[in-house]
Amino acid sequence: MNTRVTSEKPRHSWRRLPQGFWWTLPSIVVLIALSIYPMIYSVRLAFGDLGNFTRLISDRTFGIATVQTIVLTAVALAAEFVLGLALALLVDSLSRAKSIFRAGLLVPMLLPPVVAAVAWRLIYNPQFGVLNGTLRQLGVNTSALTWTNGHNSALLSVIVVDIWEWTPFLFLLLSAGLQAIPPDPIEAARIDGAGPWRLFRDVTLPLLKPTILLALLLRAMDLVRIFDQIFILTQGGPGTATETVSLYIYRTAFRFSNFGYAAAMSFVLLAATMLFSRGLMRVMRAR
Amino acid sequence: MLRLAFLAPVVWLLCSCNRAPEKSLTIAVNAGVEGTALKTAAKEWGAAHGVKIEVVELPYANLFEKEQLDLSSRTGAYDVIMIDDPWFPRMADGLAALPHEPDADFIASCVAVTRAGGKTLALPYVGNSQLFFYRKDLFAKYKMDAPKTWDDVLAGAKKIGESEKMYGYVMRAAAGNAVVADFMPLLWAFGGDVLDASQKPVVDSPAAIDALRFMLQLGKYSPPGYAGFNADEVSAHLLQSTALMSINWPAWIAAMDDPAKSKVVDKIDFIPMPGERAPGVGELGTWLIAVPAASKHSADAFDFLFWSTDAPQQKQAALRGNPPTRRSVFQSPDLVGKFRAFPAQLAALESARPRPRTKLWNEIENTFGIYLSKANAGAMDPAAALHAASEEIAQILQRAR
Repeated sequence: MNTRVTSEKPRHSWRRLPQGFWWTLPSIVVLIALSIYPMIYSVRLAFGDLGNFTRLISDRTFGIATVQTIVLTAVALAAEFVLGLALALLVDSLSRAKSIFRAGLLVPMLLPPVVAAVAWRLIYNPQFGVLNGTLRQLGVNTSALTWTNGHNSALLSVIVVDIWEWTPFLFLLLSAGLQAIPPDPIEAARIDGAGPWRLFRDVTLPLLKPTILLALLLRAMDLVRIFDQIFILTQGGPGTATETVSLYIYRTAFRFSNFGYAAAMSFVLLAATMLFSRGLMRVMRAR
Repeated sequence: MLRLAFLAPVVWLLCSCNRAPEKSLTIAVNAGVEGTALKTAAKEWGAAHGVKIEVVELPYANLFEKEQLDLSSRTGAYDVIMIDDPWFPRMADGLAALPHEPDADFIASCVAVTRAGGKTLALPYVGNSQLFFYRKDLFAKYKMDAPKTWDDVLAGAKKIGESEKMYGYVMRAAAGNAVVADFMPLLWAFGGDVLDASQKPVVDSPAAIDALRFMLQLGKYSPPGYAGFNADEVSAHLLQSTALMSINWPAWIAAMDDPAKSKVVDKIDFIPMPGERAPGVGELGTWLIAVPAASKHSADAFDFLFWSTDAPQQKQAALRGNPPTRRSVFQSPDLVGKFRAFPAQLAALESARPRPRTKLWNEIENTFGIYLSKANAGAMDPAAALHAASEEIAQILQRAR
């Protein structure tokens, strides 16, 4: 009689799973609960009623918010890139005190965006703010300088705050990129008689291209969903002068409780960001 | 070993479930003076009744979001919630009905906004309504009476403002709630409204267009950039003695008479809203307290609701800076001696009008506010702005049908 065979219990299939699975299970559950389930739920909300997408076409505020988001992203990104690169080159060319300059330039970026926006709101106050106060001391008539409160100046004022706060981010990345460039090609170009402009255009810039691409991509994605500064500085006003897509999505979801329409706008924003990122990568790779 | 690691938390959870539940209340309050008074009252009540009180204090916009999510998903996260009265129509479906009616001492306008579907679903906690703030010293200096009409306001702004080299008027005209709140008293005084009896938009009626044109005339005497102003900027101008008059809320009265903050101590008088074609009325902004239907501690929550709104507690809340919602407290001699604006506040509160009672008010107010702000910023003609606002409000109402 073969007792050995009958006494062996079959092992449950879950016991055959590797031990690592059990240790990672909590993370998998959290990931599903906090990322995957909400994503599926938002797809259902947005696409459950296709009217959400047709409404986008006739929604004047969404149109205005889209144009303004594009303008804000383009202007701020260009300015932050040019200033960030200039500062990175300048600090890189210094023979000493580089770390002091680097640390000092990073201060605006270290502030929480809400704190920076509150500070700038006080700075921009037309009557009691330090900006107009200083200009008045210099003899400038500030009666028309209403900054974030002016219909024509509000968007530009918001862009200035973003440039102030986030140029250090581009400076930081580009600075790291410059330091990673090997000295040999630069030395070789110098020996061949290349001047500073030629050196920058034909050696530094091409070698910096991967860092530039990464910096522009990260910053552009962040700019497209800009929210904190505008929420504190203008709440999208005066009128719709500083309304952006993310602010409009927030209002639609949490003030008007229209989650389906807000989800539809979020998917459009996501698609636009992905297209833009892909386009930017192609342009950069082509050059 | 691995099994033990998973078993231990389960055993702990089961043991926790067997423990006698601790009596507790979770209260959502607005981060501000209104919420501070309720928070203090809740802690006193909790200590006296042996109930653990957890206070969730949130800024205005976040409070709405959190409460709305809790009510719509019926999670029962909160046992007592503070509600700004315009939110009430949207939240009413998720609230529990009061076990008995509030007494007659409550001011009628405050109680009127707590009812829906024939039931009373909340109690008024803070008796807020707009008041008109003006510089009584300067009106006396120029031998002018307190403004009774909006024409008086304009005349005062022009004469005193120009003579004293200060802004004759200052208003909130930032997009959204701010500009709508400051426009509503003008709109009502000119005989206009937002929605008619059949819930159709009438914001582009001739009366409404006249009211907006009048607002822009007042804007000529307001500080530059007023189209982006909110309450803090308006009050800063009054406190710094750079503006003569404004519509404002009772929360700012104490600051006006505080020498540490104000250059105009005892120089500002607070009066009910000026009229024009119709008697003047201010906007009602009563804070309500209610119990969500999903609350797991509704008996204790209702006990607290009635306790915190009885006359002695309303008096305590008044001393902590909250305008009461009971007539007897407003007329209490010791409080009238302490708060000189109380008679005007009571008169304003009794005549105050709520914002239109619709679930869609947030969306309507946002749209209306955008166009009012555009007109004030000079980006649109008043008639064109109101026609566009009317068209969009009609679309909002249409979509909801």
